[in-house]
Amino acid sequence: MIDTNQPDNFKVQAKNLDFFYGDFRALKSINLDVRERQVTALIGPSGCGKSTLLRVFNRIYEIYPGQRATGSVLLDGSNVLANTYSLNALRSKVGMVFQKPVPFPMSIFQNIAYGISHFEKLKAADLALRVEQALKQAALWDEVKDKLKQSANSLSGGQQQRLCIARAIALQPEVLLFDEPTSALDPIATSKIEQLIAELRRDFTILIVTHNMQQAARCSDYTAFMYLGDLIEFGKTDKIFTKPTNKQTEDYITGRFG
Amino acid sequence: MNVNYGLIKRRQFVNGAAIALSSVATAVGLFFLFWILYTTFTRGIDALSWNLFTMVTPPAGATEGGIANALVGSLMMCGLALLVGAPSGIAAGIYLAEYAKLGKAGSVIRFVNDILLSAPSIVLGLFAFSLVTALGGGFSGWAGAFALMMIVLPVVVRTTDEMMRLQPKQLREASLSLGIPLWKVNTQILLRAALPGVTTGVLLALARISGETAPLLFTALGNSFFTLNMGEAMESVPTSIAKLAMNPDEFWNKLAWAAAFLMTSFVLLISVLARIILRTNRAAND
Repeated sequence: MIDTNQPDNFKVQAKNLDFFYGDFRALKSINLDVRERQVTALIGPSGCGKSTLLRVFNRIYEIYPGQRATGSVLLDGSNVLANTYSLNALRSKVGMVFQKPVPFPMSIFQNIAYGISHFEKLKAADLALRVEQALKQAALWDEVKDKLKQSANSLSGGQQQRLCIARAIALQPEVLLFDEPTSALDPIATSKIEQLIAELRRDFTILIVTHNMQQAARCSDYTAFMYLGDLIEFGKTDKIFTKPTNKQTEDYITGRFG
Repeated sequence: MNVNYGLIKRRQFVNGAAIALSSVATAVGLFFLFWILYTTFTRGIDALSWNLFTMVTPPAGATEGGIANALVGSLMMCGLALLVGAPSGIAAGIYLAEYAKLGKAGSVIRFVNDILLSAPSIVLGLFAFSLVTALGGGFSGWAGAFALMMIVLPVVVRTTDEMMRLQPKQLREASLSLGIPLWKVNTQILLRAALPGVTTGVLLALARISGETAPLLFTALGNSFFTLNMGEAMESVPTSIAKLAMNPDEFWNKLAWAAAFLMTSFVLLISVLARIILRTNRAAND
């Protein structure tokens, strides 16, 4: 799945990144280079810090007092952890999709339009076009085009999750963060999301946290294995899954622990 | 396996006794509830007539009259109390749930609000009365509405706070992760998600104040004449029931039952409405 002709172009870089929940150090000097328009999977046992790491990239952790990150996270070379970096600008560039689909309590159309209207004042026709584009990109348009005015809660779980993806990409971000996006979905809905990720890879830099090792193997180009707050091993997915250099990585992917 | 039949027998007996006792307790409670409702409804329906809505409280001894003055007074005072109390209560509830949830201020405010919630309503009335007289005012509809508003406020604050805190953490994170500022997330997304519960709280507050008598006794006082002027003393349904029922006049007593019937039906209607709102929304979310 890796394009050999693509040069190494680092979109997001974590440098000496530490993270604290109060006094507990959950990430220990993480250094990670995320390549542009590639899928990078974060794997590891529960509590290893993979979700914590993901939540640093759009600074969503900041809504909870007592959580803080030190070190730096570079997005196109500028440190997003700096106080001078606009939080709203960061979040419009780095979209996020969560474990549980959480549609807004409004219509399907409004779910997508709400975020767009916050950042851009568009005419009704242009807005409708943008909503349509986002829903098409999230492979949901055909299923919802006749019921855009219905409540988003009327959709199935898998459709709701694709709606959340559409909501995130409607803002035309550059990076997409997926936090275990399929752990609440059935196998069919899961495979649709995985296909979608493969499509989205052409336009976005993707980071995905997953507990499902087959998922990481199936849909990522690079894989990072984390354990107890350390980044143990990082490399091309096929290499991590076939010839890991680290004993802990090997034990984890072969199911010996975790 | 060794089966201890004695133990099983004893447990079956205790179980039977517990079921019997709780059934009796339920029956006693329901008996009085239905008795009250039955009396109110039969005697109230007897006394119902159109005059009730078109005529004012008659002098004792009359054979015709209504409670139009009380209905209008209740409507205006409850309406105003709700109009002011509900929005400020919702705003305070949002503040508690979203901004002050972890700090010390939040828990102190929540505690004080709970005290206000359970404060005897006559105390609130007394406070409103002393405040109004201190400001140089007398008995008036404004004072009555103010006293009722102090009852609305803690109920709405509490329900809004709880309904907002019930919203999934991920809804909040998902909204913020789009780069939408916190105030917009709170008022346009989380409040909307919590709206059915919040509406229920407002309706229950309305049901409560529409039957409150004590805080109106020395604020709005009561008025046998029809008035739309909130600067004057005003009649309300509960205070008029008290007045009409305590007099030996037979027609007055009849009016009191009719008023009680109207009030009970109104409260019942509001409660049913609140349940419907909650239920239809729950069904839509499942």
